[in-house]
Amino acid sequence: MTMKLPKKTIFIKPWCLMGFLLLLCNPLASWAKTDPIIVDQVVKTISGTISDENGEPLAGATVIVRGTAKGTLSNNEGGYSIEAEAGDVLFFSYVGYTQVERTVGDQSKIDVALEPDYAQLDEVVVVGYGKQKKSHLTGSISKVTNESLDQIPMSRMDDALVGQVAGVNIQSTNPAAGEAPVIRVRGQGSISFDSNPLIVVDGIAVGTDADFLSSLDMNDVESIEVLKDAASSAIYGSRGANGIIMITTKQGREGPTQFSYNAFVGVKSVPQNDYLTTVDDWLQYTRDNNNGELTERLQYIEQLGTYTDWQDVMMDGGMIQSHSVSARGGTKSTSFRAAMSYLNDEGVLLTDNFEKINFRLNLDTKVSERIKFGVVLNPSHTEQRRFPIGIHDAVRQNPWLPLYLDENNIQYVNRFRENGRWAGAQIGDYAMERMFDDYDLAAAMPSEGSGTDISGTSNQSALAKVLERDRRKFQTKIFANSYLNINLTDDLFFRQTVGGDFRYTRNTRWAGIEASRNGPADSESILDNAIQFHTVYESTLNFNKTMGEHELNAVAGFAYEQWNRNYSELEAAGYDFDNIQTIPAANLVGGESSAAQEGLVSYLSRINYVYGNRYLLSISARWDGSSKFGPDNKFGFFPAVSAGWRVSQEKFLRDNEVIYDLKLRGSYGITGSNSGIGEYDHIGLISPVGTALGGNATGFNAVNISNSALRWEKLVETNVGIDLALFQGRIATSFDYYIRTSEDLLLDLPIPSVTGFQTALVNKGTVENRGFEFELTSRNVASDNFSWSTSFLLTHNKNTLVDFAGASGLISVVDSKRPAEWIAQEGYPISSFYGYVVKEDIPLEYIRDPFFPINGQSQDIYVRDLNGDGIIDTDDRTFLGSPYPDFIWSVNNILKFGNFDFSFMFQGSQGAEVRNISSQYIKQEFSSNQDYNAEFPDGDLVVQRIFTNDDIQDASYISLRNLNFGYTLPRVAVEKLRIKKLRVYLGAQNLLYIMSEGYEGWNPEGIDQGLGNPLTYGYQRGPAPIFRTLSAGVNLSF
Amino acid sequence: MQKLIYLSLLSSALLVIGCTERLDLAPLSAIGENGFYKNVTEVEGAVIAIYDGLQDVPQREFALTEMRSDNTRTRSSEGDWAQFESFDVEPTNTAIAAYWSANYNVIFRANRVLENLEVVNSTTLKSQFEGEARFTRALAHFNLVQAFGDVPLVDQVIIQTDSSYFDRDPVATVLSTIAADLSAARTLLPATLDYGRATSGAASALLAKVMLTQGDYAGAEGVLNELTTSGAYALEASYRDVFYNEGNGEVIFAIPYLDDDANESQDFSFEMTAGGAISGLNYMTDEFLAAMDPLDSMRNDVLLSPAHPAEGGKFLTQSADARLCGNDWIVLRYADVLLLQAEAIMAGAPSTQDLDAIAAYNEVRERANLSTLAVDGSETLTREMLLFERRYELAFENHRFNDLLRFGVAESVLSEFAANYSFPFTATDLLLPIPQGEINVSQGKLSQNPGY
Repeated sequence: MTMKLPKKTIFIKPWCLMGFLLLLCNPLASWAKTDPIIVDQVVKTISGTISDENGEPLAGATVIVRGTAKGTLSNNEGGYSIEAEAGDVLFFSYVGYTQVERTVGDQSKIDVALEPDYAQLDEVVVVGYGKQKKSHLTGSISKVTNESLDQIPMSRMDDALVGQVAGVNIQSTNPAAGEAPVIRVRGQGSISFDSNPLIVVDGIAVGTDADFLSSLDMNDVESIEVLKDAASSAIYGSRGANGIIMITTKQGREGPTQFSYNAFVGVKSVPQNDYLTTVDDWLQYTRDNNNGELTERLQYIEQLGTYTDWQDVMMDGGMIQSHSVSARGGTKSTSFRAAMSYLNDEGVLLTDNFEKINFRLNLDTKVSERIKFGVVLNPSHTEQRRFPIGIHDAVRQNPWLPLYLDENNIQYVNRFRENGRWAGAQIGDYAMERMFDDYDLAAAMPSEGSGTDISGTSNQSALAKVLERDRRKFQTKIFANSYLNINLTDDLFFRQTVGGDFRYTRNTRWAGIEASRNGPADSESILDNAIQFHTVYESTLNFNKTMGEHELNAVAGFAYEQWNRNYSELEAAGYDFDNIQTIPAANLVGGESSAAQEGLVSYLSRINYVYGNRYLLSISARWDGSSKFGPDNKFGFFPAVSAGWRVSQEKFLRDNEVIYDLKLRGSYGITGSNSGIGEYDHIGLISPVGTALGGNATGFNAVNISNSALRWEKLVETNVGIDLALFQGRIATSFDYYIRTSEDLLLDLPIPSVTGFQTALVNKGTVENRGFEFELTSRNVASDNFSWSTSFLLTHNKNTLVDFAGASGLISVVDSKRPAEWIAQEGYPISSFYGYVVKEDIPLEYIRDPFFPINGQSQDIYVRDLNGDGIIDTDDRTFLGSPYPDFIWSVNNILKFGNFDFSFMFQGSQGAEVRNISSQYIKQEFSSNQDYNAEFPDGDLVVQRIFTNDDIQDASYISLRNLNFGYTLPRVAVEKLRIKKLRVYLGAQNLLYIMSEGYEGWNPEGIDQGLGNPLTYGYQRGPAPIFRTLSAGVNLSF
Repeated sequence: MQKLIYLSLLSSALLVIGCTERLDLAPLSAIGENGFYKNVTEVEGAVIAIYDGLQDVPQREFALTEMRSDNTRTRSSEGDWAQFESFDVEPTNTAIAAYWSANYNVIFRANRVLENLEVVNSTTLKSQFEGEARFTRALAHFNLVQAFGDVPLVDQVIIQTDSSYFDRDPVATVLSTIAADLSAARTLLPATLDYGRATSGAASALLAKVMLTQGDYAGAEGVLNELTTSGAYALEASYRDVFYNEGNGEVIFAIPYLDDDANESQDFSFEMTAGGAISGLNYMTDEFLAAMDPLDSMRNDVLLSPAHPAEGGKFLTQSADARLCGNDWIVLRYADVLLLQAEAIMAGAPSTQDLDAIAAYNEVRERANLSTLAVDGSETLTREMLLFERRYELAFENHRFNDLLRFGVAESVLSEFAANYSFPFTATDLLLPIPQGEINVSQGKLSQNPGY
């Protein structure tokens, strides 16, 4: 493996580079002309063999003479030969093994045995605009290599990353099929907007919404790097503040074409629980507590004799299947990987479903020794059908309510009520509660106003609400990227990238005439279309040079990105037919279209410098100019510096038997977030507004207050870390401590309405996140036939609202009908649950009808007089908890024995709370039957449960998140079938999922309302349940 | 090959130079405010925008004026809405915050017009626009002062740093500014304009009501006499037609909406009527039902929903979508004016035998086919009769609470009503709390009403 200089030195015209106003240009010019030093001395041939720790020969290991371009590879028997002279130092290396150096003396034969590098210090990590050796990292970056992530039976790739990276919290907030989780890297930094990390796919920043991850196929993913500290993400400037998830897809590879087929099929289900009582159990409970008697209503229910397990009906389970086919290969000059995949996830809810088709081509080709280009093309289509109501709504039905009318229960339908609304009821109709009201028990027939009522709601049955609605999201995406790489000299290359992504999103929303109690008057169909075309142009110059003890790696570049967005919507209502769900002109009630553009211009540069493989320094800078920023702050500057000291490379530790690697790191950086700013928010906008005045005159109204200083949210972060690997890296740990200060936060600051506006978008306020991350990987056993490794991740983050721009103490509610409160107070997390503290239940004797409805309990409850003034008023409210976990952790074990492999991961979260309003529905807390009666003396000492900590529940959980048990068929057996590899496996997800005792619901991670507003985070009103999946899969390659 | 290299370097260099100007992008679906309000069309656009703002005001106004009275209640006693029926409105109530901001938004839009009038070169249009702006500004201030008492008076466009405007001004000051705006609007406005836009008649009717609130009975009487003798307005023959024959000659000022229009429909019709039996706002109280005159069938048939006995029937929607209702909201109508006229003549006395007062009262009764008082000086019109008439003639048109206040009987009537339900009513409940959110951001300038 020898390298040659190009025959011609390329002359760089200064004007060609005038855009790169960068530090690098001058040194480049001089260094580029440096010729290698050639000295004539006595040269001899050194030969030997390279083997692994067990003495097995290593083929393809590298031997390099230090300080020269001379190098060679070992042959199949591990043998090598190279020309060197006495005093030269030879480097022997092999991927996954520790590099060894030997000084040439008198001998002509040098045999070496390489030890495995368990800590994988030579592993290459993808960083922003480049790559770096893991041992040289100075920031906080975690890498996840896709070894078996594609076997996790989830429809989205981000769901498979749970528990894989310290510092990253991935929460299944509403895990219906295809629905995105919430991802937070080192906590919530923004007060007004979500804090989603930037997603970068093969170098293209596709945005901070998790949308893009729904269509990627994990089988196509090579690795995922998460840039966590500001110093690492500052190279992404005004978009780096919430961390960066960098996804690298699998490239082509030189060699004969290899085909792979990976597939799994899984069965999904929701574990049963006992939140909902059965009719029989409730009758028993009543008899036990009511002197053996049933109330009149319960007598009627007993006579009716119907029972529906609503959880069973609504969480009916599902199947997931995934098929992925790929071909990978190439010649010396051209390599490719082409893949196609299909996934169908039925979801565990009655109607939810997700389908994905994905195509991909990665192609790289060398035009000449100096010029290389390549493309990535990834079209995809997804279709998601959503469960149209909250789980709370689905399970709030009285358990006596049948699904449909049948021969028996139709006799109880009251045909007189509500002006004969159900006079025409027929077998097969949806049953609804009100139909069964007003029944004369004595006469055993429906009554005309004097009978017994058993309904709890006038709503249409949940079954009709679900089946008669249809909500879908269709997405068509095309991701494309192309690059041209030109090696200008041996050390310097220029790279031009043109790429982008196109997204077409169509949402449809249909409610038929039976979906609501109001019939046709509530029917609707809504269609919206969103198109986004995002283009990226990037030019970079990269310089890499090693001179003696100095290693320099630099990048400088320019980027321009543009987004064109178009949106249109049609709205229709008043359908009196059910057979068409699209929008006829006759039913149109509204529609509009809008368009917007965004531009981003960036200049970036970074220098990484290493001295003596010991001292590491990285300095980067980026300038971002965005059309979204106000004219006073058009460009933002985002600098970062980080440094590291590889103590283990110092003489005093170099040959230490125990300490294999020890590195101290520190970083400081400034980065930003611009995702909360709309395209034209800094401009005072005048928008057309309609009226119903004569001729439907259109007016023009000011819709916001202009802000010429509007700019990015700014993150300043200090990170210190230590990496320690022991015993050849068999035990590797790393610890990071960080302080992240998010400043200049975008606040829709409430302003006095007397101005005509309620809010003004300003940059004010400060939030701090501080915490630590700990990672430990231990190769417990590593022998040929048996290996076992364990890794442990622990993350702690503390969120504090430091400065709320004068609005400290702000109380927010999500829902004015259930105005449970959140408080945002300086010194506390951004959102804290606020309210009263429960003292005790109201005794049953004071409840109007304590046995109706089934599973019911009182709406009100005694609360504590916290300030002791004898009365219960708003001064008795207090902080009730916070939705952010104290700790998240995971323990992953991977075992291999012979042809079997086994892995399992426990993962958990501790210390978060949720406001779980589902209890209100499960326990029918709004029923007037459960109100206190006239004899109750303490009406002023009770408040509604929703205002108390009764609904604040511990959201901690421990899960056996993933489990995988595989068997690889012996090579001899499959080779007969001309198969390279055949592995079959069984997998399980959430086989165990232990919720805290105080939690009452189906998903402690669930958060399904107010998600976009951090001030009211942590509200559950029927999120999709956590489910269990049992799966079987196959990996085949030939 | 060399060409390829040069070409790519050149193109990237050009990109660097060419791109920075692409950071100055003009909005595509709106207009930047610099450079707007430059001609008469654009100023008229701003005038029309006031009416768009007005559409938000009546949406939940019934909670403040009907549910917070003895007329209606909620069906389900849930959340914020239940606070009104039990006279226990919290400063954090979202409906009062929305009412506050909707009215100040109208005031802002009106002030925007007033500050940009110079570019209107037609004097006719200029005075019309000024009249429309001053009328709507007065209407919004009047809504606020009735609900909250002392409120900030905003007579020009202000921004969030103009904290001198955040203080509460005394009711009397606010009312006199409102009266000044309306007096000016009376002369600035033409007698007729497109349906839904302010006219001199609308300004007169509102001015009279403001004067009555101020206790200026003589002034009110003068304005009302002028209005009733002008012949510009008359009662509809059928009470039902007042509400279901939109744009009829009884209506003096209304806020129009369209059926089945995602932007120009309202949903108070749903909440006040068909929504009543279910989720239930504006559901009739037993007291209201009990006091109904069984002979008053023309009005009762409209007030009660045919679907449900205690459900409102006045604004039944004609739309296909239950919540996209097009019923126009009547702010001022002639029957109101006639009863105001009787009230003005009565001038705060417990009764009157004035024939003009009785004639005005009779006109309203006659339309409803109800008994009238003799116009020979033998019969007396009492305040109770007048209040009763207003209660049923104008039921669910958001007059009840303010009428009780103006008649000076709010405390006695409502405390008696509250006692029936053990609602904790006190005199301080006659003013709503200032929305807590507004107090929080007022830099200490806004004080809370007593009792909250």
